[in-house]
Amino acid sequence: MTEPLGRLLTDLGERAVYDAVSQCSRCGYCEQACPTYAATGRESYSPRGRNQLIRLMIEGKLDDPKAVDEALSTCLLCGACRTACYAKVSVPDLVLEARRALRVETHWLVKRVTRMLVESPASLAVLLKIGYLLKRSGLSRLGRPLLRTVGLPALAAMDEGVAEVPSRLLDEELEGLRAEGEGNNWNYFAPCGPRYLFPRVGVATWKALTKLKGLGRHADNSCCGLFSYNYGELADARALAKRNIEKAESAGDEPIIGDCSSCVAFLKSYPQLFLMPSDAEWRPRAERFAARVKDVVEVYGEAVKDLPLGAAEGTVTYHDSCRALHGQGLQDQPRRTAKAVAGQSYREMPDADICCGGAGAFSFVHEGLSDEVLRRKVGNAASVQSSTILTSSTSCLIQLARGLRKYYPDAKVLHLSEFVARSLEERHGP
Amino acid sequence: MFALAGLREVVAPGSLLTSAADLAVYSYDGALSRARPDGVLVARSASDVRRAVSWCAANQVPFVARGAGTNLSGGCVPLRGGLVISLARMNRILSLDAAARVACVEPGVVNLALQCEAEKVGLFYAPDPASLRVSTIGGNAAENAGGPRCLKYGVTTNHVLAVEAVMPDGAAARFAQEDGGPEMTSLLIGSEGTLGVLTKIWVKLTPLPEETRTLLAGFKSIDAAVECVSAVIAAGILPRCLEAMDRPTVESVEAGRDLGYPKDPAILLIEIDGARAAAARETAAVERLCRQAGASSVRAAADPVERERLWEGRRGAYAALARLAPNVLVEDGVVPRDQLPEVVRRIQATAAKHRVKAYLLFHAGDGNIHPNIIYDERDAELTARVMAAGHEMLQACVELGGSLSGEHGIGLDKRDAMAWLFTSQTLALFRRVKDALDPGHIANPDKLFPEPGDFRPGPGFIRPEPPPLGEHAGLLVEKVKSAPAGAPFRVRGASTRLPDATAQGAVELLTTGMSRILDLDRRNYTLTVESGISLHGLHRELESQGCHLRLPKVGGTLGGLLAARPWPSIREDILGMRLLLASGEVVELGGKVVKNVAGYDLSRFVLGSWGRLGVILEATFKLYAFPLDVPHSLPAAKPPEWNAWSRKVRDAFDPDGRFSPRLS
Repeated sequence: MTEPLGRLLTDLGERAVYDAVSQCSRCGYCEQACPTYAATGRESYSPRGRNQLIRLMIEGKLDDPKAVDEALSTCLLCGACRTACYAKVSVPDLVLEARRALRVETHWLVKRVTRMLVESPASLAVLLKIGYLLKRSGLSRLGRPLLRTVGLPALAAMDEGVAEVPSRLLDEELEGLRAEGEGNNWNYFAPCGPRYLFPRVGVATWKALTKLKGLGRHADNSCCGLFSYNYGELADARALAKRNIEKAESAGDEPIIGDCSSCVAFLKSYPQLFLMPSDAEWRPRAERFAARVKDVVEVYGEAVKDLPLGAAEGTVTYHDSCRALHGQGLQDQPRRTAKAVAGQSYREMPDADICCGGAGAFSFVHEGLSDEVLRRKVGNAASVQSSTILTSSTSCLIQLARGLRKYYPDAKVLHLSEFVARSLEERHGP
Repeated sequence: MFALAGLREVVAPGSLLTSAADLAVYSYDGALSRARPDGVLVARSASDVRRAVSWCAANQVPFVARGAGTNLSGGCVPLRGGLVISLARMNRILSLDAAARVACVEPGVVNLALQCEAEKVGLFYAPDPASLRVSTIGGNAAENAGGPRCLKYGVTTNHVLAVEAVMPDGAAARFAQEDGGPEMTSLLIGSEGTLGVLTKIWVKLTPLPEETRTLLAGFKSIDAAVECVSAVIAAGILPRCLEAMDRPTVESVEAGRDLGYPKDPAILLIEIDGARAAAARETAAVERLCRQAGASSVRAAADPVERERLWEGRRGAYAALARLAPNVLVEDGVVPRDQLPEVVRRIQATAAKHRVKAYLLFHAGDGNIHPNIIYDERDAELTARVMAAGHEMLQACVELGGSLSGEHGIGLDKRDAMAWLFTSQTLALFRRVKDALDPGHIANPDKLFPEPGDFRPGPGFIRPEPPPLGEHAGLLVEKVKSAPAGAPFRVRGASTRLPDATAQGAVELLTTGMSRILDLDRRNYTLTVESGISLHGLHRELESQGCHLRLPKVGGTLGGLLAARPWPSIREDILGMRLLLASGEVVELGGKVVKNVAGYDLSRFVLGSWGRLGVILEATFKLYAFPLDVPHSLPAAKPPEWNAWSRKVRDAFDPDGRFSPRLS
């Protein structure tokens, strides 16, 4: 597998991983923020517990380092603990480091997809289209029991979890829009989520950005590398980052805007990938790149005065994507946006800031735990009688759609872009 | 190492954790010590706890109950291994009666969760430890937690009405304040899990105040700030919080941002609540008192936003320190309020001696001080210096007539220090209480008390001698000591409650000769008084001096009132007691500081004992500078039945039953 990062960019400055994890004083103030602790009440499923296990592992005080596998693999990487922590100990980064050091086996399916994102996005696109075809025809549903019996429950879970079957992928969708003219007001970084799973989101973002900021262009980017960072090789994540940095440098200096908060948060953290002396040349380039990156949520937040009030259609609420809230500190901007468009129909749901349990591939690999977390989330959405839940990350879109289908079919989930684009369209025409 | 295989068969499937990772993460709490358990039970219900404790009792396996594990004195560490019982999943609020202002909760309910529910109906739960976002009501009760607001509203023991507990032998029991006889609730609160496991807690809720006002004042010295605090209390104003910080602490919070705190050596954050008009009046008075005490600035928050901003500095203090180094020792000592300036000087000298830096935060109104010392536990030499400094700071508190802990508990880290504070007779009594309820020492063993021969005070430590007994008290001691072997004792005051004659052959111990006010401390608003004093006389004397006591204005002696406990609220303000035992020993229970969680709360336990535990010689109370609403008559009470548990504890006080011939 992969070499660990060794060093991290923490809130208190650049630190060796051991120093970063030792900053945890075991005060326990993070515990209630952690969705997996809340769901299980188990210390090994808590941020403090995970920190201590990582620390013991580094100190060689655990007889069997494999004992920590479960604690590490169940972390959602949501970062709510980091927000709660006074010293901002970044448990997600530490957990990923420990997973790398332990070479915790990533689920084969996740690994396969991760590799394809790096090596052959085109064949992934082909595979996905075949998958969507199977799904539309209903064949995949029939195949689920078979998948489970032959030992591929994650694939079955994935098939069950993803209801969305786009007929065209984002790059195809955008062809027409790009033909209408491109400019250099912004650079659209197409994350894999909108690209392969939710083309409608990417289209909405493109349209909304065009209306709010004039013409922009497509970054023709590669995958951000988050999947490799979380589930695969750091080397791959670095390679993808370098590709994206080079591409962006050649484009100019307009803001780079993405519409999956997980992806955008990772783009902003590119400098952490280049802390090794051998990467000295890349660190400043990554820093310049990161400084240009914006979540589309921020763009809307800055443009609220230009956002028209949309047609009311039941109660609207907002679910914080962990990587928007804890990864980028975006709490106010998305709410301002949602309120500008929804007006009186906006209602804050309880615990909007708690993870939905999606967390990338988590929901497919830890179905039970993920579902426990999800049920609370849906319950909270239902408690304000919401009919539309807005969010800003791909995994939240998948996870919430799954949860709503299962527990609260009265509501639907939309990306903030879709909500904004629709009201802009109502006001200004398509 | 204890084999827990048999336990797996009696608890719910999946609830017993034994993996290496699980054992590692239940080896610690918020302090430094570690010890791994042999298993962890994630309890879901009282019956889970009962089954587990019964099994532990049958197999002599030690157990430690635990809530959120935020303890700051090593109290949750399973020193001997055995079983950790996690109560974190027992987190339901079972009922909340807004009209009666009572909630019944499971021990794993997080303090903040209860606050949120109570607020929905216009109430709040008064104890507000800094950890309230994560710490549990069960843990708060086990530690008798305080918080900034407890100056006005009291600590946890003042807000727990009843508990349901699993006792160390596995039996379930329910104890309530209204129980007759000595009440076990007070004994369990603050016992740090050494006498049983709380499985249900009934707590009192308080109406949200109509108005809250916040002031921030800067002073030229700690002395001036403390002078101001004393003036406020003496003026009959009881603020909800009276928090102080020193300059280094403020500087660490303000690193990189400006909260607009004055640049003075001492800061007071004062919060006043109550009905609108009264709060406004008191705020104006406090502002004036601050200026009279030489405050260089006084700032009042104009709105909730500004109020939040003023609090940000206080609340952010620990946070800021936690960023300066990986570890923060949050020491916790108490002194009589007027000794705060002196203890600060001694703390600074101790810090300098050990080459560490102490950042001072204090609940100034209660004399509760938290010197915070930052360090990195990976540096063993530094850690040793920090621990030594912390211990010496506690010695200073004890020397100045204070206590080892105002709210964090004794646990493991301060158990040695208990010998500095209590006499060997008192410690022996504590141990006998533990033995009586937990003869096998399986409930959180090896905590609270020094191991025999463990007395290691630092160099130059001088324990304050308890003031000599009054003449009449001395005579009573002699009378007990010289009584014929095995002769029963009869304690008698003014004979208003138990008029019947002393039985033939019994030794009568008449308290009415002990009628002196021993210490009316107007700087700290505490009173120590002999028990034979007439209540009416006591009230009259105090009122002539502008002081008031939360005790009924009825006939008879003070000792008789305490022994009969005819009014539940007599427990609220008792701080300490001197008790003569059947052995002729005199034990000192509690102390004279208003916040004190060192050792079992036996002064409250003695209330309602009807002279069957020993002779109350003296008692210490909190005083007020304003009149209180107390009853002027009480219904006649008869000695009640004692429950089986308080009978067991009685054996710790009076093993031969000489004080209670009619009971047993």
